[in-house]
Amino acid sequence: MKIAKTDIAFISLAVVTGAIAYHKSGPGAVTDALTEAALLMLSILPQLAAGLLIGGLVTRLVSQEKVAQLLGAGSGIKGLTLALVAGLLTPGGPFTSFPMVYALWIAGADAGALIAFISAWSLLGFNRLIVWELPLLGVEFSAIRYAACLPLPILAGLIARYLVRLPLFRLKPPPRE
Amino acid sequence: MIGAVIFIWAAVLVLSVLVWRREGTPGLQKAGVSALGTAKTLMLRLPFALLAASFLVQIVPVAALSHVIGPQSGITGIALAAGIGGLLPGGPMTSFPIAIVFQQSGAGLPQMVALISGWAVFALHRLLAYEAPIMGWRFVALRSAACLTLPVIAALLAQGIASVLGLL
Repeated sequence: MKIAKTDIAFISLAVVTGAIAYHKSGPGAVTDALTEAALLMLSILPQLAAGLLIGGLVTRLVSQEKVAQLLGAGSGIKGLTLALVAGLLTPGGPFTSFPMVYALWIAGADAGALIAFISAWSLLGFNRLIVWELPLLGVEFSAIRYAACLPLPILAGLIARYLVRLPLFRLKPPPRE
Repeated sequence: MIGAVIFIWAAVLVLSVLVWRREGTPGLQKAGVSALGTAKTLMLRLPFALLAASFLVQIVPVAALSHVIGPQSGITGIALAAGIGGLLPGGPMTSFPIAIVFQQSGAGLPQMVALISGWAVFALHRLLAYEAPIMGWRFVALRSAACLTLPVIAALLAQGIASVLGLL
């Protein structure tokens, strides 16, 4: 198995944060975190697998030209709006949405559309609004918060399209099939 | 949770039928190979990412920060609330209950909007556990920079909406 730099980064991060937690709260904290991470891993596996499969299937259904035309760098505000609607309607947790972002990236969407999509999913996702925010924080608060966030994914997409031209933020081309 | 799983697998089923009708079994195989390829890259880093995120939840003292985001805290409070939101641990099932504590202990409305939006946009936990392993750090940097001002804008818009409605 190939071990990438990213893998090493995450292993180191786990070791360092684990050492701090141990130092701060003792061995109990470490076993707690281990159990929690293991349970979380098990509980997200069905959704992660589905997210990966959706990603793979979507790449078979839509051609690269089509995605590039709808969500590519030249797709304008229309592309960002489409990405916003798609993100808003995407159900499930990050284990579903990020594999979809990855699939869209491979399929030819540009950084602006990807960021509009994921921002809409996180700020405006219906799933979370109905299940968590409305019951826990109240209708009035949720409605004001939602209205205030409505235009923001498009703004984020526009900023991303500007930033991605700077050398600091230039993305590598997506991995090809 | 169960409902979400059923919904997502129903989507997988529908998409599979669509792919099968268009490309037959080879199309399904290619889709599977592509999914497996992504799964392979995640196999090692995802468990460690989840573990690191669980440790971080224990290290970051979130609740101690609640007194700095009251209604009079203004734009500084809004910026702080956005940062606190980004540090809220875990998914909605852990962070919304903590958000209630903030709301009930007297955080201002724009500050609460910044907190929830900050959590939605920056959630450190999600960034570490899913975004970076799947999309890479360069994408994380670009997205974070593009979204940096969103919670503050959301809070100011919310303040505007609330004062128009006469709620502040």
